[in-house]
Amino acid sequence: MTTPTRPSLDDPSLTIPLEHAGIFEPIPLARTERQREFYDLRDGEMLLNMGPQHPSTHGVLRVVLKISGEQVVDLDPVLGYLHRGVEKIAENSDFHQIISHLDPLEYVASLFCEWSPVMSFEKLLDIQVPRRAEYIRVLTGELNRIASHMLFIGWYALDLGGITPILWSFAERDEIVEMLAAITGAKLLFNYFRIGGVNGDLNHDFMSRLGDWMSRAGAQLEAGMGLLNENEIFVRRARGLGILDRETALRMCATGPNLRASGVPFDIRRAHPYSVYPELEFEIPTRREGDSLARYLLRMDEVRQSLRIIDQCLHQMPDGPVMARLPRLLRPRPGRAYSAVEGPRGQYSCYAMSDGTDQPFRLRIHDPSFLHLQLVGLLMPGNLIADTMAIMASLDPVMGGVDK
Amino acid sequence: MTAYWNRLSVGSRAFLIVVPALLVVGAILTVGIALLLPPVLGFLGANLPLARFAAAATAIIVVTIPTAFVIIYMELKVIAAMNLRVGPDRVGPYGTLMSVVHGLKVLAKEDFTPRGVDVPIFTLAPVVVFASIPLTMLVIPFAPGIFGQDFNIALLYFFAISGLSVVGLMMAGWASFNKYSLLGALRAAAQAISYELPLTLSVVGIIILAGTMSLNSIVQLQAGSFLDWNIWKQPLGFVIFFIAATAEANRTPLDMTEADQELVAGFATEYSGMRFGFFFFAEYVNVFVVSALSAVLFFGGWNAPFDWPFPVTLNLDPGGMGLGLIFLIALAPVVGTIILGLPFWLLSSRVSTLRALVIGFVLFNLLIVGAFMGWAFISAAWVSGLVWMVLKTFVFVFIFVQMRGTLPRVRVDQLMSFAWKWLLPAALLNIFVTAIAVSILANR
Repeated sequence: MTTPTRPSLDDPSLTIPLEHAGIFEPIPLARTERQREFYDLRDGEMLLNMGPQHPSTHGVLRVVLKISGEQVVDLDPVLGYLHRGVEKIAENSDFHQIISHLDPLEYVASLFCEWSPVMSFEKLLDIQVPRRAEYIRVLTGELNRIASHMLFIGWYALDLGGITPILWSFAERDEIVEMLAAITGAKLLFNYFRIGGVNGDLNHDFMSRLGDWMSRAGAQLEAGMGLLNENEIFVRRARGLGILDRETALRMCATGPNLRASGVPFDIRRAHPYSVYPELEFEIPTRREGDSLARYLLRMDEVRQSLRIIDQCLHQMPDGPVMARLPRLLRPRPGRAYSAVEGPRGQYSCYAMSDGTDQPFRLRIHDPSFLHLQLVGLLMPGNLIADTMAIMASLDPVMGGVDK
Repeated sequence: MTAYWNRLSVGSRAFLIVVPALLVVGAILTVGIALLLPPVLGFLGANLPLARFAAAATAIIVVTIPTAFVIIYMELKVIAAMNLRVGPDRVGPYGTLMSVVHGLKVLAKEDFTPRGVDVPIFTLAPVVVFASIPLTMLVIPFAPGIFGQDFNIALLYFFAISGLSVVGLMMAGWASFNKYSLLGALRAAAQAISYELPLTLSVVGIIILAGTMSLNSIVQLQAGSFLDWNIWKQPLGFVIFFIAATAEANRTPLDMTEADQELVAGFATEYSGMRFGFFFFAEYVNVFVVSALSAVLFFGGWNAPFDWPFPVTLNLDPGGMGLGLIFLIALAPVVGTIILGLPFWLLSSRVSTLRALVIGFVLFNLLIVGAFMGWAFISAAWVSGLVWMVLKTFVFVFIFVQMRGTLPRVRVDQLMSFAWKWLLPAALLNIFVTAIAVSILANR
């Protein structure tokens, strides 16, 4: 039996001499049945490589599109450009070190990447987090959720060709990020949650910025987004685009706004309450249409609910310590713990196994972006090239989380 | 001899080289001009249209690039203001030289030819695109007497030549050996075919009203106040024309050919250096041309929107002043500089005497230039016409720029269906209504 060898890029039989080259297709060797089907071009079809340096693939995603004219017939996402092996890194770091490695997973909403591992470690170690720390976590988390959704809204408009909304939404995001920088010390990778609490109490800089912003945030957001919500061209392009029905969404494990835009009112903050969310009043916005416009508008609704939550957090914030008393060296008993939080993109969860040492035996990170990227293959065929990026942007994957 | 030369300073050496050279060149030029000028002048006098064409072509090519610079700077600044940004503010006062630096950068960059391209066509494509745009400027009347050519099918010529640029885009897309370029070029072709029809049909109403396709005559027929402009007779025609012109100029929201979120840079993906610069400048000159045509067809061209309510007649006769004119010319700059600089010298002790004089000199010059311009505006019809025409044109350029900052891009199938389902029937309706109205009014 012969072992299949990997083809070499220098193999002369694989290259097409340029003097014979018309518009040619460099056909890679098919390794699987799916690849054979994909790279077998019928009449009038051609392959179009998008990314990893394409202007509108979010992060470094490469998509090979099989197109017939302007219509997308099939597509093949190529992942792994941002792979860091973070789960393996986690097995070789102690519980405190892991937090900073997990930050860059979802670099636009990094507090949620810290939150679920920290919660699972607390379960492993059986630690009671002080209530003030929980409130601060909810407060900063919701701020980060707004910042992430503002980024989404700007990018989505940019992918549809509008250049102004991204700068308007970045004005909001900048204020939030400055606020978070005042409390956490960083603008992007916050590294703020600790096992048993948070790193540092609320300070005056943060509170004054937050109060200033909260006094005008609602009106400012509504005014800024009128540019898109009342724009005929934008609404006509987004409506009915990439419809994700309820059954498919559930079957493909979609979570977060993408699931709620398809009519399933599932939100981990209510379905499996954690932290102090049971004490807070907020609604779970849901939409039925399941198209790109619904996904966009749902995120707008979520921003409004987040503002409500922040307001309540500020009013109900208790006094007390922000960090539990912990031993210096954390050695949990052997066991397993699972925790999930509702992030801006969906369910972030973490499954930690301990073998009694100061490092986890295994750490599994679940990231919603990876599952949402799978939806692209279902939603995209039949649409035009112009809509591929619009659909992908409306699902809002972040490649750091997809590649891990 | 060498010792003397070595003892001289650099300036002296340059003087000793340049002055004799200038003398020699001056002598040759004098003789040459004396010999050649009479026959050349005689030839040009015998062929005035040819001379006019040569002058117009030179003027247009000279004017094209600065116009593009102004529009690029305007776009940078206006969109920056809409985006809550500052925009360019480093090069020159308020960043005004930014687009000049852009142009120099484009000139200095490597002009790269990728492997696999069809080299002659790849090289020729930007030239075709760029050449077609100034050619259309030939027929646009900027002011009474300021136009390249005025002939009876000027409008038809305009659309025919502006359609040529699509050939250049197709050449670029095909020769680039890149799928994105090819898609962009095919979109350009489809878009051009779809939008040429409503664009041309939308002005048929005006041709019916004017009875001619000569742009000069169309402008002259709109003389009077702003109530005589064609926009009031052809509002639907203008709306169709403006939308179709947006598509023709490849501007957002109808810039399918270079939709950067989808096709990277469309037909220009593989271009760099000055070849890309040609596409870039052609786009902005196209915006100017289309705006100018909108002003000519629908907004009265060079005609002032209203007559100046206080009629001013300046009958200056400098010769009548006799010897006083010499004294005026000799003394006015000195006296004017001192009078204008005096307040600054008196009001602030920080302003030195020299500085006050410089301020006075600059102010005096501005005053004289302003007075001269005002005099020219009042007494020369072509100056006032040019001012109004450029103002109207830049209003439309501003609208194009603002649309780019405000609107997202429409999808390619929406673009096509809009052209064929809405614009074309509306343009036909406009023609029928205009024709019926004109025939009824004529038979009455």
